[in-house]
Amino acid sequence: MQRDHVFLGLYLAAILAATTIHSPLWLAAGLGLVLLIAGREAFSLLRRAVLTVLAFNALISLSYLGMAWWQDAFGLSPSPWQTLLRLNLRVILLTSLTFLFISRVNLFQALSFSKNLTYVLGLAYSQTLTFRRAHDDFRLALASRSLHRPSLIDRYRASAAAVSWYIEKSLHAATQSSQALRSRGFFHD
Amino acid sequence: MHIPDGFISPQTYLPAYAVAAGLWAYAARRVKRDLDADTLPFLAAGTALSFVLMMVALPLPGGSTAHAAGIGLLAVSFGGWMAFLAVSLVLAMQALLFGDGGITALPINALAMGFIGSFAALVTWKLLGRWHETLALFLAGWFSIVLPALLMALVLGVQPLIAHDAQGAPLFFPFGLAITLPAVVLPHLLVGLAEGVLTVLGYRYLTRLRTRLA
Repeated sequence: MQRDHVFLGLYLAAILAATTIHSPLWLAAGLGLVLLIAGREAFSLLRRAVLTVLAFNALISLSYLGMAWWQDAFGLSPSPWQTLLRLNLRVILLTSLTFLFISRVNLFQALSFSKNLTYVLGLAYSQTLTFRRAHDDFRLALASRSLHRPSLIDRYRASAAAVSWYIEKSLHAATQSSQALRSRGFFHD
Repeated sequence: MHIPDGFISPQTYLPAYAVAAGLWAYAARRVKRDLDADTLPFLAAGTALSFVLMMVALPLPGGSTAHAAGIGLLAVSFGGWMAFLAVSLVLAMQALLFGDGGITALPINALAMGFIGSFAALVTWKLLGRWHETLALFLAGWFSIVLPALLMALVLGVQPLIAHDAQGAPLFFPFGLAITLPAVVLPHLLVGLAEGVLTVLGYRYLTRLRTRLA
C-alpha cells in the first residue's frame, strides 16, 4: 500500500474521531497534535484555518450568543460558552486537519486506485487552475479600468462576459482533451 | 450555498455518505457506459466550468452579491447524472484540494446540490421545455438552487434534535428548523432568480457555440 493511501486512511479516521469526540479539552488536544505534526508550518496552518472559517463561524457564534442571551432573560438557556467553545474548536480542528492533509499528501496518488477518476480529476484540476487565474484576471481588469465603483449594469456585463468566456473555453478544452486522448489511444490500452 | 465542515453530526454524514456512494457508483456506471474520448473530457470540462461558475459573483441590487452554481445549466446541457458527478467532483476538489467546504459536509452538499439540484432542473426542463423553452430554463435554474437550499436547511435544522448533550445543548449546528428554514431558504429564493437568468443565457450561448463547433 502506498504512503498516500495510508495518509488518506489516517486522515479519514482523524476526521471521524474529531466528530465523535465532544469534550473541548480533547478537541483542543487534537488541535495541538495537528499543529505539532505541522511543525514549522503550524502558525501559518492555524492562521489559514482561522481565516477560512472566521466569517461563517463568527456569524453562527454571535447569533447563538444573541439567542442564548435572549432566552437567558427568560431562564430558558444553559450557558452557551461550552457549546461555542466546542463548536469553534471542532471546526478549526477539522479545517486544520484538511489543510495539513492537503500539504502533505498527493491526492492524485491517494486516488490512484481508479484510472478514470484520476484522469477526470487531473483534467478538471488543471482546467480549474486556469479558470481560477482567469477569474482573478477578470476581477482585477474590471477594478483597474473603473475610476469609481462599477455600476450594477457594468458588473452584470462583466459577469456575463466572464461566464461566456468560461463556457467557450471549457468547450474548446474538452474538444482539445478529446483529440489528445484519442490520438494517444487512451481508450484502447 | 454549501455547508462547511464541523456542523454536521456523524449520525447524519455517515448515512449520507452511504446514500451518496451508492448514487456516485450508479452515476459513474451510467456515465461510463457512454464514457469515451468525447464524454470524459466533457465531464472534466463540466466540472471545471461548474467550479468557476461557483466563483462568479452575480451582483444583486443593493450592493450585495450571490454566487451562481451553474447546476441547472449543467443538468439541461449534459444530463442529470453527468451534472451530479461534475458537481460532486467540484465539491470534492473544493474540500480536498482547496480546503473549501468540508469532507464531512461533502455527501450532504453533493446530494443536495448535485443530485436534487441537477434532477430538479432536468425534470423541470423535460416537463416544461416543449411548452415554453425560456420559462422552462429559468425555472430549471431557480429550482436547482431553491430545492437544495430547502434540503440543506432541513439537514442543518435537525442537527440540534439528533445531536445534543445531556443538558440539551447542541453538539453541532446550533439552530433549529424555525431559524434555518427562513434564514437559508428565503435568500435563495432571490439567488434562484439570478441562477434562472444564468441558465437561460448560458444554455442559449452553449447551444449556439456547440452548433458553431460541430
